Amino acid sequence: MSTSHSRLADKFLENDKYAQWHDNTFWGVRQKRDRMADEVPEWEQLRQMASDIKRHTITHLDRYLEQFEANAVKNGAIVHWAKDADEFNSIIYGILREHDVKKLVKSKSMLTEECEMNPYLEAHGVEVVETDLGERIIQLNDQKPSHIVMPAIHLDHHEVGQLFENKLGSEKDNHDPTYLTYQARLSLRHEFLTADAGLTGANFGVAATGDIVVCTNEGNADMATSVPPLHIAVMGLEKVIPDYDSLAVFHRLLARSATGQPTTVYTSHFRTNRPTARKMHIVLLDNGRTEWIANPQHWETLKCIRCGSCMNTCPVYRLSGGYSYSYFIPGPLGINLGMLRDPQAHSGNVSACTLCLSCQNTCPVKVNLGDQVYQWRQQLDEFGTANKQKKFICKGMDAVFTRPKVYNMATDNAHLANHIPSFIMECGLNPWAKGHKMMKFPKKPFHKLFKDLEKDEDGK
Amino acid sequence: MDSKEYILGRFRRNVGKKYDMPDLGSIAGITYPDPLVQFINITQTNGSNLFELKPGDDINKLIMECYPDAKTIASSLPEIRIANRNPETVASARDLDGTDVGVVRAELGVAENGCMWVPQQCKEKVVDFISENLVILLPRDSIVNNMHEAYRKIKFNSYNFGTFIAGASKTADIAQVLVVGAQAARSCTIFLV
Ligand code: SF4
Repeated sequence: MSTSHSRLADKFLENDKYAQWHDNTFWGVRQKRDRMADEVPEWEQLRQMASDIKRHTITHLDRYLEQFEANAVKNGAIVHWAKDADEFNSIIYGILREHDVKKLVKSKSMLTEECEMNPYLEAHGVEVVETDLGERIIQLNDQKPSHIVMPAIHLDHHEVGQLFENKLGSEKDNHDPTYLTYQARLSLRHEFLTADAGLTGANFGVAATGDIVVCTNEGNADMATSVPPLHIAVMGLEKVIPDYDSLAVFHRLLARSATGQPTTVYTSHFRTNRPTARKMHIVLLDNGRTEWIANPQHWETLKCIRCGSCMNTCPVYRLSGGYSYSYFIPGPLGINLGMLRDPQAHSGNVSACTLCLSCQNTCPVKVNLGDQVYQWRQQLDEFGTANKQKKFICKGMDAVFTRPKVYNMATDNAHLANHIPSFIMECGLNPWAKGHKMMKFPKKPFHKLFKDLEKDEDGK
Repeated sequence: MDSKEYILGRFRRNVGKKYDMPDLGSIAGITYPDPLVQFINITQTNGSNLFELKPGDDINKLIMECYPDAKTIASSLPEIRIANRNPETVASARDLDGTDVGVVRAELGVAENGCMWVPQQCKEKVVDFISENLVILLPRDSIVNNMHEAYRKIKFNSYNFGTFIAGASKTADIAQVLVVGAQAARSCTIFLV
């Protein structure tokens, strides 16, 4: 029996050249992140602070959200509260209709993906244009993002080149990324100049000042809010933070963790509309968040600042790609958010984890992603989706690991398993053989090696 | 019951253990022996050009030397005499499309990452983004070590908008190849004044 994730991962791996490129690319991003982290001596202190600030803010959300709203209103913005995706979409459409908006340009926002806002607005006759290059590419290609920071990473430059030939009329067979980026720039420039409104997400909302803070490299959020006469900012409740001192901590972590840059090129602080535009609107979205807070094992997922580094570092994500996950956010974060959203629909992702815990060791806000996946696995029975064969073997492992004598005996003799012909170990009856090579058991188990080393040391 | 009450009510019912705010004063933010030197270095890594203005230098002449082909130059700064578009007086933000060089003033630079604080300084802030090439005038004595210091110092004016800019716009969204010049400025030149 395989899971929905493992079946789709098999498909991803059929193109092994691409799979290898994908793996290497994300490992490269992870290494850039490491170099950035190494340059900041107080890095680990920052991560701890970021985690503590988020724990505090998220368990005092009522206070901070009311403070944020009061300050935003004082600055001249209009604040809306949406309890779910339906209300969110109808609020946005209501604002657009009131201002007779025919074309909306938007910057990247996972929130609007979560609410499936684009199809809703399009069904109501509003043209929606994505302006982040990656988002624009997948919009033209009628696809969903395969990564939260690099949404079009599943396409190579030839595929993008052909897409632009068809949709933007770019030169035939010119698939140079610089040329293609310039073509997109020209086409998007036209969209910015002709749009009736701009919509942005929010990386942070600052309670003490009412700022909406948006970080981009392309400057698209700024173009989308500096030309059209109306700005709507949308924000999940958990994005509110107390003040500028807190913002400094998150700012220092975000871009370094996300793409291995010391900062994004633009960090824009919006408090109100520009003088020549209409009033700015801010829409706050709950959509399950105030329910998730009640879950003692999983509420800390709400600390996430959407940097994507848990995906970049995840060996399973790197070798299976974003489309192998059933939830619209992939990787370790997506496994957990999907389970919070709808465990019946998304438990097929819970297998997509080796429990290496690399995700939670890189996460800038210390979300315990791998631990949470482990905990979800313990509950799979409730959702009726546990793999029965694996469960049987797990029971056996449990018995061994929890009784030291049996464990010692088993590991002392484990090297004998090296002599079992691999067709027995890797046959269809052993469900782990699929996707896992049987490991070689060492002649001396680790704890013995360690003891021997200790003896050597003592003998010196 | 309106949605705000509903959301806050549900939060209050559901929240468990409450956590205290940590003491952010204990953060040992990175400092540099000479923040200006670090700022200059990081700026080059970010791909910007940087020049130090010497006494007697004419900023207008230097800008034209950097961008000899520039025809339309937008700025609301009084010392930029070569400007032939004024973002303060244009009828609409759209009128600044096609600007070859935009010239703006930053108030503070950050040594750790090359960010420059640019509060809105005229009616149409689009000049910061729409110009093909962006020139930033930055006081050389304004460099702070890190973002902790920066966020304690930045100021807003009545426009209530400000942005940190760290160079030209960039993307790697096509096959992870870095391309400078995405939706906003395609090059950035900093003059330390
Ligand atoms: S869970 Fe952590 S690592 Fe993953 S996207 Fe969120 S903040 Fe980044």
